[in-house]
Amino acid sequence: MRKLYSNKLTIILFILPALILFLVILVAPIFLSGYYSFFDWNGFGKKIFIGLENYKELLTSNSIGFIKALGNSLLLALLSVVVQLPLALGLALLLGKGRKGERGFLSIYFMPVLISTVVIGQLWLKIYNPSYGILNVVLRSLGLDSLARIWLDRKTALGATFVPILWQYVGYHMLLMYAGIKSVPIEYREAAMIDGAREGQVNRYIILPYIKPILKISTIFAVTGSLKSFDLIYVLTNGGPLHATEVPSTLMINMLFLRNRYGMGSTIALLLIIMCFAFALIIGRIFKDKED
Amino acid sequence: MKLSDIFQNRNKKSRPQGESSLKIGIKGKEVWVYIIFGIWALINLFPVYWMFTFSLKSNKEIFGENVAGLPKEWLWSNYVKAMNVGNIEKYFVNSVIVAIVTIVIVMLISLMATFALTRFIWKGRKQMNKFFMLGLTIPIHASIVPIYVTLSKLHLLNTYFALIIPYAAFSLAMGILVCTGFMQELPMDLDEAACIDGCGTWGIFFRIIVPLMKPAVATVSIYTFLQCWNELMFANIFVSDSAHKTLPVGVQALSGQYMTDWGPVGAALVLATFPTLIFYAFFSKKIQESFISGAIKG
Amino acid sequence: MKKVTALLMTMVMLVSLVGCGKSDASKTSTTTETPTTSEATKAPDATEASTATASDPIDLTMWCIATESDSNRHAYEASIADFQAAHPEINLTWEATQNQEYKTKIKAAVAANEMPDIFFTWGCAFLGDFVDAGRVYSVDDVYAKHASELPEVMMGNVKYDGKYYGVPMTMNIVGMFSNMELLKEAGYDHVPATYDELIACCDALVAKGIIPFGCSGKETWAVTEYLESIIEKTAGASALNEIFAGNATWANDDVAKAVGIFQEMIEKNYFDPEGIALSNDEVKANFIAGKYAFYMNGTWNAADFDKAGLSDKIQVAEFPVIDSSKSKLGELIGGPSDTLAVAASSKNAEVAAESAFEIAKGICHYGYLDGNGLPAWTPDYDTSGINSLTKSVADIVANSSQMVLYGDTAMSADTANIYLDYVSQVYASVIDGKAFVEGLVNDIK
Repeated sequence: MRKLYSNKLTIILFILPALILFLVILVAPIFLSGYYSFFDWNGFGKKIFIGLENYKELLTSNSIGFIKALGNSLLLALLSVVVQLPLALGLALLLGKGRKGERGFLSIYFMPVLISTVVIGQLWLKIYNPSYGILNVVLRSLGLDSLARIWLDRKTALGATFVPILWQYVGYHMLLMYAGIKSVPIEYREAAMIDGAREGQVNRYIILPYIKPILKISTIFAVTGSLKSFDLIYVLTNGGPLHATEVPSTLMINMLFLRNRYGMGSTIALLLIIMCFAFALIIGRIFKDKED
Repeated sequence: MKLSDIFQNRNKKSRPQGESSLKIGIKGKEVWVYIIFGIWALINLFPVYWMFTFSLKSNKEIFGENVAGLPKEWLWSNYVKAMNVGNIEKYFVNSVIVAIVTIVIVMLISLMATFALTRFIWKGRKQMNKFFMLGLTIPIHASIVPIYVTLSKLHLLNTYFALIIPYAAFSLAMGILVCTGFMQELPMDLDEAACIDGCGTWGIFFRIIVPLMKPAVATVSIYTFLQCWNELMFANIFVSDSAHKTLPVGVQALSGQYMTDWGPVGAALVLATFPTLIFYAFFSKKIQESFISGAIKG
Repeated sequence: MKKVTALLMTMVMLVSLVGCGKSDASKTSTTTETPTTSEATKAPDATEASTATASDPIDLTMWCIATESDSNRHAYEASIADFQAAHPEINLTWEATQNQEYKTKIKAAVAANEMPDIFFTWGCAFLGDFVDAGRVYSVDDVYAKHASELPEVMMGNVKYDGKYYGVPMTMNIVGMFSNMELLKEAGYDHVPATYDELIACCDALVAKGIIPFGCSGKETWAVTEYLESIIEKTAGASALNEIFAGNATWANDDVAKAVGIFQEMIEKNYFDPEGIALSNDEVKANFIAGKYAFYMNGTWNAADFDKAGLSDKIQVAEFPVIDSSKSKLGELIGGPSDTLAVAASSKNAEVAAESAFEIAKGICHYGYLDGNGLPAWTPDYDTSGINSLTKSVADIVANSSQMVLYGDTAMSADTANIYLDYVSQVYASVIDGKAFVEGLVNDIK
């Protein structure tokens, strides 16, 4: 058995497909991006080596607005942690107690996750339409005309794009957490109840510590997902109006394909990857510290 | 926690648990809980309901009095338009093909890799595992052009594989993560027994390990499915002939074309959504069950 | 038909289109004799391109932006059908992609050197970047065969370093479309011809509760249709052209003044405030529905207005002169920009080039008849059925003295996007004319 499980050739055979796919599609592009980020290049013409100029320009130029885009995606990450996850957790805790119809509600809450992001984007574009969108129509019919407005204009666009992003994945996190809550051994719960613990205390001292690994995964997904968010923003506003909803991914695509600044686009790509790594590490640390 | 615990909990004890908490719960509070459930259900259902109704209306109805009600005149011609002009049904099939093949590939490759990472004894397997986990955080759009160049060199552009390969690569990390959780739970005795019965490595893998990984399959499948189902940018750039275009590209294109004619856009959105929702309605219990058993493995 | 052809001929002689491309010095002041022999109602000549032998089928691919709902769709379909009928030995497959997505797609394809044989492109800077990278096939030889039907003056935007790299199809200008019924309500039976009259008219419209202008803020190019016209009529065509070409900086008081005029119009509620969140298609639909009195946009819209049955209700004119000491009527924004080009990497580049010319000619033919713009190719067919709006456009062009190409087409991608950025800030009234000028001077390298 030991001999069987230390055969080098078999190991290589089993790991190779994954490794090749990983190296070619995920890792190589990172190094290429790193390389291109030192050049002034439009993607097809002559490359001019400019050292760290792209980084310098990216971090200092107001007209590119990278810092603002970064701020937007960090805000989204923050909102997903303080709004989306608690909402998901709350629903999961309420559902996880075993109420009548919990499966039905669970199914309904998971539904938006299954809808294609482009569909959600197009749907919310219609919802937000200033003249005929359901949001303004409902507000007007309730006599709240003063609240009806152009939702995707400069002042409210950021909030308006965040709503569907946060909304869509509540169900996903909720199901993850619900799954965790369901796996808490019933004895733990009952013992606490017998000791006179209130529901809140059971949640706080029994369930939450138990599902911590899930909370960690959820947080990592929510934060890196926010940093990476692209499709919904692309469909809804493409970063506009006036960069109000710009995030690093939309900025990157604009640099690559609209402004023909391939080097700069690569710089953003690389910074984005580094940031996602960093946040995943930091979140992992935070949860680890609490465990100890 | 142990896999066996979870199964036990879910199968044997979830029912009594529900009853006991109901007994303890206070009636007045319960009403509030259901009100919360109801409101959140409405927030989730209403946009979909609205989408369905405007997919069957003329602009006149949508823009006029009947904004939120059921259509007065059911305009199925919107669907004909979405199918004829937008080819939505064709793109739907393409999306399904891409998703299924990607899921199969991700499953197979990540099971194999996980097998090597959890069962075999070799130096650096921990590092290798960590290395794969980095993939969880890489934004897919960051590598668009290098991947494009690679695919073009492999002459894979304008085929299903132009999408399947990158999608599979980007789902791999999640696949390995989930599979590792499950495979570690399987006792080595299984392998020993199979080995004594004369199974080779491949025999153990395919006959013993893979059949026991069913719960992992569901979890990874859903994750991979979502990735394939949502991705727009790769799909737009890597595939240019309409024979292989996927749903997000089709929906986006149609919406761009019918910016001012809401009916056909609504029809396209419904066509792109309802088959999955119907499928989910039938299998939601199964999907949830396996999701539940798979989720905790992180 | 005679009249239109005659007008087009004068247009060819009068309009001095400034050539494109950084290195293009030769301004084409052509006096080419335009062919006067015009055979009535004849499909575009489709026999010349076949250099291949019948036994050897050739596969060609083509990308364009003529999606199903594009007003050019019919012209593409008809022209390609003609081409395929005439060339059974060529197996042409074509794909249409939505405008915005197309830009991404073609650039990725150029970067990976995976271009289709024939591709749609905008002239001047957009194509110029690809030409600089050596990715585009020079069509000099093929053009020589067609020079008699495709006036050299139309080739200005596809000429780089004295060589031709594409074949133009239609040309368009920015026109001010006016809803005469709404103007009537405000007491006007004609399109205001002077700037003062226009302002008075707008005031009257606003007083009547009619929104004078609709403009999409979501698509900044739609804002430039307004802003560039106003700048041109304030600073003069030559000055604007020099700025776009990079020969002069944006530090120009007239530009700042023009921006101020534009913003004053916004301030006085001449523009639909909802426009900022709408796409151009939505704004256009609003105009068709009678929500706005004026809509400034490309003259390709004539086809759709005609299709909507509005030919009698709508008139087209150029924006009135603001500063008559610097500009005059006849100075327009526009030019031939829609182009087909051939990839240098094409295995059958020569056949592809011949085919591109033939297809472009057909698209020009059918597109002109449909009202999608004026033809870059000299018509050799019956044009009496052209809609009245397109005829008016031909009149305007025939009387024009100078044209300035759209800024975002004339400038290189990076510069153009910086410019568009500032234009959208102007439309949102975040910056004033001074800040606009200063910002552009600072940001454009």
